[in-house]
Amino acid sequence: MTAKAVYKPRRFKFRLKRLTFSRFMLYLLLTLLVVIAGLPLFAMVCRSLMPLDELYIYPPRLIVHKPTLRNFSDLLTSLSSSTVPFTRYIFNSLFTTVATVLASVVVCCMGAYGLAKHKPAGSGVIFAIVVAALSFSVHVTQIPNYMVVNKLGLVNSYWALIIPKIAVAYNFFLVKQFCEQLPDSILEAARIDGAKEFHVFWTIAMPLLRPAWTTLAVFSFVNNWNDYFSPLIFISSNALKTLPLALQTLSGGAGVVARAGTVGAATFLTTVPSILVFAVMRGKVMETMSFSGIKS
Amino acid sequence: MSVQGKASVRKPRKKMGIDRKRSLEAYIFLIPWLIGICVFFAYPIFTSIRLSFSKITSFKGLITEWVGLTNYEYIFFYDINFVPTFLQVVLDTLLNTPLCIVFSLVIAILINRKMVGRGFFRTAFFIPVLLGSGYIMKQLLGMGADGTTITTGIMVPRLIADLLGVSITEVVQGFLDRITVVLWKSGVQIVLFLAGLQGISGSLYEAARVDGATEWEMFWKITLPMITPIILMNIVYTIVAFFTDGTNPMVDYIYKMNFTNQMYESAAAMSWIYFIFALVLCGAAILLMRRHVYDSGSKN
Repeated sequence: MTAKAVYKPRRFKFRLKRLTFSRFMLYLLLTLLVVIAGLPLFAMVCRSLMPLDELYIYPPRLIVHKPTLRNFSDLLTSLSSSTVPFTRYIFNSLFTTVATVLASVVVCCMGAYGLAKHKPAGSGVIFAIVVAALSFSVHVTQIPNYMVVNKLGLVNSYWALIIPKIAVAYNFFLVKQFCEQLPDSILEAARIDGAKEFHVFWTIAMPLLRPAWTTLAVFSFVNNWNDYFSPLIFISSNALKTLPLALQTLSGGAGVVARAGTVGAATFLTTVPSILVFAVMRGKVMETMSFSGIKS
Repeated sequence: MSVQGKASVRKPRKKMGIDRKRSLEAYIFLIPWLIGICVFFAYPIFTSIRLSFSKITSFKGLITEWVGLTNYEYIFFYDINFVPTFLQVVLDTLLNTPLCIVFSLVIAILINRKMVGRGFFRTAFFIPVLLGSGYIMKQLLGMGADGTTITTGIMVPRLIADLLGVSITEVVQGFLDRITVVLWKSGVQIVLFLAGLQGISGSLYEAARVDGATEWEMFWKITLPMITPIILMNIVYTIVAFFTDGTNPMVDYIYKMNFTNQMYESAAAMSWIYFIFALVLCGAAILLMRRHVYDSGSKN
């Protein structure tokens, strides 16, 4: 961690003594906040393990008394009972998400590098567009967006879930802030040694930008994995649905009440990959977030 | 490509050689991204503006007829759901944004101290960011179909509930619900505040301590003024995040207008009213804060 201690505690040797009250209160407060923040997660895990009779007890119960894995097996059977097996949804989600993340990282890094390190004419205008795009909601443009995708003939294919989400303003912004910090002298040295521009970008700039694009990859993964809005609009074929969309149809269907446990299990399964990805990249992400925060 | 043509004309003639070559290289790098942003962002934006002022006469090729403000009139005076939903979202935003800012600042200050388990707390408060918005968030915060919230029957034990009576219990419950939602939406803000706190020079606190300032005084006289740029940034971020959030009833309604009612023109008009309001709110926040923001030469 780059985080440095801002100041040293005043009397270091008395730290143990001070731990008694104010420290205790601090920990108590923080733990309380963590518990409140963690409650939805905890409830989700419990719900996914609850047998049916426990789900509808009044008053509702938070903690599961007789945990069961029935919900998970129900989930598999109820989703697979149609022509599409459950694993297909997982594959759809994984494939489109990974493809989007890879393409987005390369395209956004290339663009940001070009803008930050070459300062082309008109870079001010482009950056203004990026900043404006940051504050737009996708919902404003959903219909025209659908029309564009439709006209390109991408509706109801994997491409509809990948191509529109490659050039993202947020990713561009994040990498660009980092590119500004790249020392020109290294790039210049490579150019003098006769490296082609793309070579400079790929073998020198990209490794240096690694913290930025790993963070970007994590965020992009999480966003695309959780996104059920674009599959909802662009995908109608059952075989191409992604996991969140399949879950949504599951919880919105006729048998909503009877399936509360199944939905709980499904929600739990959907959150697992995001948490895994973050767990692997934790250090990098926290570092980058703090760093870019200062700069923007 | 027209951008590039225009740009090279503007350049001074003398430096054309290397500068022009580098501009060209830059645009080669930028082209994939530019195409993407033009096709999937800029063009839809303009179509959406046009749509909000017109009536679709033919879907084939999207032929439209200019009708002026008719769509806007419709959503304000004829649509019974738009105004109440809109007001509710505005109220929610106005309530949640200050709560969010205060909470995340307090948490950031607490976990910025040197203490055992700092990494754990930082991660714990950041995890909600990962689970993102949209459907999962809805499920997790219990805003799903059955209408019960996450804290129903959990936070307030029966005994206390009986003692307090229904109305007070409801208030407490509502408050707890709101805190949970706010905590879940302040992960990014906490990290940004942490970064800001670590940017404050330690010597300031050292000097204040030598002069006999208490922790409380140091917070109001050093921490708060130094962190104002981040506060402003966080306010803007929070407003935008609340407005673009998938769990937002207004977003739901616009979606319904589009895909269930198929009133594309009105939906476009609604989106624009909604978006412009978010911009106005951000602008107001920036104007109000500007006088109080500590300027260290950095932008924002």
